[in-house]
Amino acid sequence: MKDCKIQQAVSDPSALTPPLFEVGSLSKHFGGIQALKGVNLALGENGIVALIGPNGAGKSTFINVTTGTYSPDSGTVKLHGKNIAGWPAHEITRQGIARTFQLQELFMNMTVLENAMAGCFVNGKAGLFASGLKWPSSRAEENHIREEAYENLKVVGLEKKAAASVPALPLGERKMLGIARTLGTRPRLMMLDEPAGGLAAHEVSRLADLIFTFKEKGLSVLVVEHNMPFVMSISEWVIVLDYGIKISEGPPNFVKNDPSVIKAYLGEED
Amino acid sequence: MISSRAFRVNLSWLLFMLALGVLPLVLRSNYIISVMLMVALFGVLSIGMGLLLGQAGMFSLAHPTWFGMGAYIAAILSVRGLTSPLLGIIIAALCVAVLSWLIGAPILRLRGFYLANATFAMVVIAQIAAGQLSKLTGGHEGLLGIPYLTVGGFVFKKDIHFYYLSWALCIACSWFCSNLMNTRLGRAIRSFHDNESASSSLGVNIPRYKLQIFVLTAVMASLSGSLFCFYLRFVTPESFGFPLLVELIMMVIIGGIESIRGALLGSFVVLWLTEFIHAYLGKVLPAMTGEVDAIFFGLLIILVLIFMPRGLIGWVEPILNLSRRRDERL
Repeated sequence: MKDCKIQQAVSDPSALTPPLFEVGSLSKHFGGIQALKGVNLALGENGIVALIGPNGAGKSTFINVTTGTYSPDSGTVKLHGKNIAGWPAHEITRQGIARTFQLQELFMNMTVLENAMAGCFVNGKAGLFASGLKWPSSRAEENHIREEAYENLKVVGLEKKAAASVPALPLGERKMLGIARTLGTRPRLMMLDEPAGGLAAHEVSRLADLIFTFKEKGLSVLVVEHNMPFVMSISEWVIVLDYGIKISEGPPNFVKNDPSVIKAYLGEED
Repeated sequence: MISSRAFRVNLSWLLFMLALGVLPLVLRSNYIISVMLMVALFGVLSIGMGLLLGQAGMFSLAHPTWFGMGAYIAAILSVRGLTSPLLGIIIAALCVAVLSWLIGAPILRLRGFYLANATFAMVVIAQIAAGQLSKLTGGHEGLLGIPYLTVGGFVFKKDIHFYYLSWALCIACSWFCSNLMNTRLGRAIRSFHDNESASSSLGVNIPRYKLQIFVLTAVMASLSGSLFCFYLRFVTPESFGFPLLVELIMMVIIGGIESIRGALLGSFVVLWLTEFIHAYLGKVLPAMTGEVDAIFFGLLIILVLIFMPRGLIGWVEPILNLSRRRDERL
């Protein structure tokens, strides 16, 4: 653990820039299960951080608690220094955190383009009357949203499938649509919940490229993932959870060789 | 492509309105006009019901109450000479807006059958209250002596007057609602029906928009109820209870729960079928009484649910080819 702290002081991306996203002693329990136990972490501007851990380590709970699906039992979640812990999900989205879902959770009754347009919800202002009476402001807004959604589909390479229905898409394209949809919220920080799960090798490498382009655009990305080669190749910083506790963090090469991480994944030698 | 689609949509609206406008001039039958105006008034209700059940996924059954409140408030105000009928209609709509807001804010936190139960209780309570508050509402005997609706000197006396007025309301409501459902807010409403957690992760304040659509449909129902009372010039609590609710649910299921046109078609089909059953079935099977339509509609609902899960509109639209395909609906 001492090594870990020294390492952190040297190359933690959050130490260099003012932290974009900061979590302090975050805890959450479900009945008798402590899903998160005093988790701390900090993320700088445009960094790629991976959150890993064995099944049931609390990774998805971490996303759910920090994006408002659940509220934490205790602890702080700060974005740009503002504590947003316990805020409702839709407010947190407006602050600039977007998330994808493990099972995509796309809108099955909408087309691909409509899904992307639904993602642009926060970029509009037209109210009930303006929309219902088809005021010019509402029409202009619709055109704007359609263009932006189309651009977001282009980013993930789905623009040719804009008119397709979601059930017709294969898994890889559904995952991409999930990402395109969240891009509509114009996030500062994007949390991807197992984006590479179930993807073929060439799809994984495209996903990696995509994440790098996000970084270039100034987005921060937090990836929850099981695919270790993928995690090790894209992330600048890796955080390891086990039973709701942060057991290690550091650059990929450090974490890979950390005995406590190996113990968590493979069990202890007798 | 967009402009040609817009043109086609506008054209189908125009043709529809033209047909409705010409209908009473071609068929000079008071009977047809009186049924068709009911199709419009019930159409406003079924459109609202379809929006709630089919598009927003809110299992609210409160519609007969808003319809009844619109009728009773406008009727009481004008019977007592407190306001003119037109002002009465507006005040009734405002009262219903405020009430549905106050009731909706807590009650819409409920979901599924819990919401259905709570709103159904409202229907029962409102109907009993209308029957018991006899000094105000005229009780079970009904409220009589409702004056004619007059707007700027014009007196709405004949069926034909109400025919045009009701269809104006109905078309205005369907235009408003279809605009709404094709914009950002409409997508948000459809999105939380589909998946609440994804919807709120995209920044949709779900309780807020549930409340807005609830109030909107309540106000529509209230306006329809006000016209209903000035047309009949008589209201009883029986018009706003369980049978009306069943009829509305029948309309949205038979017509098609997912679309505005479906709800309107449902209103048309259910009302005309009821008329035919009452007119002809008695002759074929004299032993049958008024309850026969319940059996008939029960069977019809089962058949529609099995063979046309999207309702009649899902079956009619491809034939007429008036429907915009899904990809074009954007």
